[in-house]
Amino acid sequence: MRKSIMLGSLLVASLAFAGGAFAADKIPVGHLACYTGPTSDVGGPFGNGVADALGYINKTGGINGKLLDYDTVDYSYNAPRAVATYKKWMSGLKPVAIQGWGTADTEALVKFIAKDKVPYFSASYSGHLTDPTGKSPKTKTPAPYNFFYGPSYSDTCRGLVQWAADDWKAKGSKGQPKFIHMGANHPYPNAPKAACAAYAEELGFKVLNPIVYSLKPADAKAQCLTLKDSGANYAYLGNTAGSNISLLNSCRTVGAKPQFLANVWGWDENSIQAAKEAGDGVAVFVGAPTWNDTKPPGMKTVREISKMSDPTGKTYRNLHYMRGICSTFYMKEAMLIADKKGEITGQSIKAAMETMVNFVPAGLEGVCSPSTWTSEDHRGTTSVGIYTSLYNGGDFQLNKQATIEVPRRPEWLGW
Amino acid sequence: MASAHSRMNCGEFRTTYQQDTTIFPTPLARRTAIFSVIFLLVAPYFLNPYYLNLGIQIGYYGIAALGLNMVVGFTGQISLGHAAFFGFGAFASAWLNNTTGLPVFFCIPLAGAMTMALGLIVGIPAGRIKGLYLAIATLASQYILEDFFSRAEWFTGGSYGAMANPFSIFGFEFDNDQRYFYVVLFYVVVMFLLGTNLMRSRDGRAFVAVRDHYLSAEIMGINLTKYRILSFGISSLYAGIGGALFAHYLGFVSAEGFTIGLSIQFLGMIIIGGLGSVMGTLLGTAFMVLLPEVMEAGVGLIGGGSSSLIQALAYIREMAIGLAIILFLIFEPDGLAHRWRMIKAYWKLYPFSY
Repeated sequence: MRKSIMLGSLLVASLAFAGGAFAADKIPVGHLACYTGPTSDVGGPFGNGVADALGYINKTGGINGKLLDYDTVDYSYNAPRAVATYKKWMSGLKPVAIQGWGTADTEALVKFIAKDKVPYFSASYSGHLTDPTGKSPKTKTPAPYNFFYGPSYSDTCRGLVQWAADDWKAKGSKGQPKFIHMGANHPYPNAPKAACAAYAEELGFKVLNPIVYSLKPADAKAQCLTLKDSGANYAYLGNTAGSNISLLNSCRTVGAKPQFLANVWGWDENSIQAAKEAGDGVAVFVGAPTWNDTKPPGMKTVREISKMSDPTGKTYRNLHYMRGICSTFYMKEAMLIADKKGEITGQSIKAAMETMVNFVPAGLEGVCSPSTWTSEDHRGTTSVGIYTSLYNGGDFQLNKQATIEVPRRPEWLGW
Repeated sequence: MASAHSRMNCGEFRTTYQQDTTIFPTPLARRTAIFSVIFLLVAPYFLNPYYLNLGIQIGYYGIAALGLNMVVGFTGQISLGHAAFFGFGAFASAWLNNTTGLPVFFCIPLAGAMTMALGLIVGIPAGRIKGLYLAIATLASQYILEDFFSRAEWFTGGSYGAMANPFSIFGFEFDNDQRYFYVVLFYVVVMFLLGTNLMRSRDGRAFVAVRDHYLSAEIMGINLTKYRILSFGISSLYAGIGGALFAHYLGFVSAEGFTIGLSIQFLGMIIIGGLGSVMGTLLGTAFMVLLPEVMEAGVGLIGGGSSSLIQALAYIREMAIGLAIILFLIFEPDGLAHRWRMIKAYWKLYPFSY
């Protein structure tokens, strides 16, 4: 009996710690990571990239001497827990900027961060986080304090479709090419569905009925047979890497061989290794140079950052890790600009972000793509670098095909 | 007779039927309950939003969990689809508010009624089967509704999800935690009092009879199908109101959130709290909401900013939640409500327990 009473008091005591106070003279930053939960396969490396970058910024002198006071919280892809963490931060840490993760929690926080004026750097690249004013007719809620590094899901898909149209011509194929969207019926795969289909139709594709396959890795032979029967020439894969591996293996078995096009979270080094030959030729948007590519000058900094959690420097970091670093370094640069002008607050960081034109963070040249944010357009970049992958017996290759500059049409804002 | 309880008694003597069915067995219990509500009424003035947020979470999950406890704990049925009804209530309230412009104040009970209607429909087949078959039937409703959420764009906004406006009565908005806390507190008090009273009524006794021995209940003249369906309906009403409160608090409803995982979590809440106990439901919900937060704080303290350590500890934290449920099943299968009664008994006899 005494034990349960003691346990009870322990519970209360530890809870008191949870809302404890933090140092005030530093720059408080929140980091919402997804180390556990359904999207941890890609959320882990991305979160590591952010955490290492934050540590590296402090190690190299912070923001003009002011250190970051950051708090990493794993929210297990659970939106209510993300909101709870946000409330905890706002009552203790009071972050001036937050590095976040998924679609549902980012959208749940859009209104909160707009009210509290906290810039939020998400890893959800959903198109409707790109309209800060709410002018676009497609926008339901303006997202003035949302930022993300990279082309939106819709723009990525548009870029891939554009490439597919060029590919069709280059190969000298005859007739009308057929495009199909594949993905689970979930917010994330569906985000670019309508926008991408509209553009595909505009480019002369025949858009077929979408095929649904599970976000969890599972046998997908039935879906592959449907795909084969449909006669699609280009198939967009909207799911994350794990489920695409099983899909491609199933499709290889049944002999469905369209040109696959994968989203940024849908194909990476791990999946190339796991899918082996079944994944050969998948065209994917790659948002960063690979770990072993030492040509870009910025990779030196990346390797230094990686030493924050791996002093030996031997761990292979995948593409998501680099993108996590870029996301953090744009925030860092915005803080530097804000600090030069005056105080570092949520508002001044937002203002600083919106002054960036074709901007690349110092030290990451060749790693992060030049990005532009304005007070009316939060599409950081619309440039989509497309690669095809080759398993090559384990020594995989990512071969660059093209860089598609998706036009910044005003009617596409927020879509 | 009331003064008899002001002394320390060595037992409870009930001399009338009213005394036997009273909600609070002793005046002390009644006063404690009233004082806790008064304490919670002033709490928003000195608690920070983080604690209020946890309180609000316990509130809306607790209401939904009480609904599940009515089906599982009181009527002895099983439901694996509770999260879907919770989600239906969330979408229904947002949809009502967005399409008709009706103030959220009215949308929440209406969403509860819509969810109840749905629960009654789902309950029609479910009321005629039991055991594993019922588990599978409710699992089916979970998946059917989940799929409905991501397809029915007119209702849920499809895969984009739906925006939910803040709670308001004729222009006055309850848009921060302090204000919303009162809304949730109001619903918790009303729904829990309703739930307790229901269990004292003819229908409540019928539920318990169905649970304890369905054959005997039927012989006594209880219409099994009717009460099973009714139980599902009432459970859905609670889930719908909990879901609606959840929607207007988060401000955004996404189909991603109402998976089988949440259904299992609701089951975890009532198993940890105590099947067939109204107060246990609240204790179990508090446990499930607070455990990850306490673990998170522990991870933060031990991890001390090292990212690899925080990541490793994150897995341990997730495992600890599973471990807690297993430990409860082994050592305290009657739940926190039972543990609470034992603590009370201990203090009642303190220091001369034998």
